[in-house]
Amino acid sequence: MVALPLAAWAANPAMAGRWRMDPKRSTALDGWNTWDLVVGLNGTRVDLRHDMQWRTSKVTSTNTVDTATPTTVKDFFRVEQRHMALYLVPGAVTPVRAEWLDGERTLRVEATVPVESSQSTTPMRIYQEFRLIEGDQELQLIELHSTRGKPLVYRFTKITGEK
Amino acid sequence: MKHLLCLLVAWFALTSGLHAADPVLAPAGRKAWVMHFDGDWLVARGLPEKVLLVSLQGLANRAAPQLYVVHPKDFQWEITEPLFEFYQRKHHVTFTEVKSAYEALALFAQHAKGYVIWEPAVSASLNVAFTIAGLESAVVVTADQVALVERHGLKKIDDLRGRYAGQTDAQIYTDAYARYWSRCTHDSIMLMGGHAGAVRMPAMADWGVRQKMFFHDLSANPVHAEEVALNKKLYSELVPLSTVFGWHSYAKDTEEQQTTLLSTYGLRMEGLHNLPNLSFNCQFTFTPGFKFKNNHRVAADAKLTADKKVYLAFVQSDSIGIGVWTKPGRGKLPFGWQVTMNWTKFSPAALEYFHESATPNDLFIGGLSGPGYMYPNHIPADRFALLMQDARKLMATLDENIMEIMDNSAADGNLGNADLTKETVDRYYAAFPDVIGFINGYGPARTRDLRDTRALISYDYYIDPRRPRDEVAADLNELIAINAKRPYFLLVHVRESNDVNSLVEITKQLDGPVEIVPVDVFLKLAASNKTYTTRYQLPTDPKHFKGF
Repeated sequence: MVALPLAAWAANPAMAGRWRMDPKRSTALDGWNTWDLVVGLNGTRVDLRHDMQWRTSKVTSTNTVDTATPTTVKDFFRVEQRHMALYLVPGAVTPVRAEWLDGERTLRVEATVPVESSQSTTPMRIYQEFRLIEGDQELQLIELHSTRGKPLVYRFTKITGEK
Repeated sequence: MKHLLCLLVAWFALTSGLHAADPVLAPAGRKAWVMHFDGDWLVARGLPEKVLLVSLQGLANRAAPQLYVVHPKDFQWEITEPLFEFYQRKHHVTFTEVKSAYEALALFAQHAKGYVIWEPAVSASLNVAFTIAGLESAVVVTADQVALVERHGLKKIDDLRGRYAGQTDAQIYTDAYARYWSRCTHDSIMLMGGHAGAVRMPAMADWGVRQKMFFHDLSANPVHAEEVALNKKLYSELVPLSTVFGWHSYAKDTEEQQTTLLSTYGLRMEGLHNLPNLSFNCQFTFTPGFKFKNNHRVAADAKLTADKKVYLAFVQSDSIGIGVWTKPGRGKLPFGWQVTMNWTKFSPAALEYFHESATPNDLFIGGLSGPGYMYPNHIPADRFALLMQDARKLMATLDENIMEIMDNSAADGNLGNADLTKETVDRYYAAFPDVIGFINGYGPARTRDLRDTRALISYDYYIDPRRPRDEVAADLNELIAINAKRPYFLLVHVRESNDVNSLVEITKQLDGPVEIVPVDVFLKLAASNKTYTTRYQLPTDPKHFKGF
């Protein structure tokens, strides 16, 4: 058995709750009007729920990661730019690793997501850092793709009173 | 030349489904009048006068093209000013400016038998009034405008004030159906929806009044069961292959819902609700000697071989009249332009204008899905063949050999899917043996096929005009990275109002060996090396509108 650093086990309670994306301070979303990120903490497990909305249509999907051990996520939710012909592969399993960093102020998630394109199904490596900003009322998500030369940067504000 | 003119007249008589609208050859040197509208369509301010004028325009233009309207440059249909100039230059029309409603009535009130009063507080009463206007040759007024029209000798024909107080739209249109539908034309109908509430924009009403259409804005949203039922009843009572003019109500349903509904009856949509001047435009045909000659960049029977690179083609649909045609930069990149084919029947001069002003980089393609806007997954099989027969004729006239298909019946804008079933794809391949290929989608889609030399390629990307240009470049580069096999065929849909100059800058930021090619060359190359998968809509694909 491999001993894990303490940081892998500890969750930062300030990360929990509902975070609403601020479009003015974020990379432009394409094809979505709103995005709420709802973070749930349960021991080493972190639920990353995405509440997305386009006009009146709502989509909710949760990626559950574990900071203690590599896991897999079925139908891993990727906040795609919806004007690109890249699609979820239904039922596909995505290997995911997660870790707390920076004194539990950053959650790092690494996933290799199968993506359907016009030519084939291709793995896309996704690297995410969810960083708590000083004061714990703002959250920044930096996302890198193995296939994209430009990072996606999203800024969220904590919302209280909503589940 | 006389023989050619006779042929043109005969051709229109054969092809037009709207017999009352059969274009006539306007004699050279015709006199007409023009009004310049402002952009005020507020119900509480500018709308009533515009309603009066467009109803008057429909009546004035019944027997001859007399009144034309030029809209401001920021109006959705940017073509009214260029077309105004085109009529002067090519059809030798001498226009006299009409500066007020009073002047317009002085000139054209003789074409009206009276007036009908609508009630701004009861939204649907405007559509009922337009229906009456067509049937009774009335202008449409509010109570405040009665004195104005009576000064021009017009008498009251009907007054809708109070008749529909407290009634639902379903009740109002049911009453209108009982009173007027049997006398209205049954080869077309006016879906006068679009803007709703404080702003309304019924600029297409002249056409409906001229043609004696039934006006409504009935919903196709299943939550409005009574309205949907009446909508279905009306659509079912139209003659086969009829046209639904106008546009869905922005307040009631979605484009996807209404287009799905009318497609299930084998009908076609011709929009938008604010498309102006059809009552004028329909009376001009092509100028003598004019023949469509598309800027084909490859022979129909040519065989091309793709190199190991990325081939990118741009297509602009949304009907060229509301697109980027008049914006600076056109011609700098090869562009495919989806032509509203039915305009050969309703607005020939507009098509001639587009063709004469095309650059060598502008290629016209057929669409959208057929002779009008429709969703082919829902067209009954027996109607599909008839519709596509019409589309083939129109495409031959317009010298087009690419068909663009769009079916958003399972979509809600960006959600759901825009794909075709295999059965639908089979039908297109059977119906269009002479095209060089097909395009599918609006947003991205994943229907792809290759049969004999005809490729069917869906859009891999949709350029939202509001998306930052550096993100568009990043998106395209990501697609290029993920689709790593070469050749990669990257078909891009350019949404209306995108700026071509900005697209030029984007193409300079693309990675790898990329070649921008005209869409006909693109389809030929795509037929030479199938690096894309064959795919149709699957029952398991996400659907955001499940139909009726």
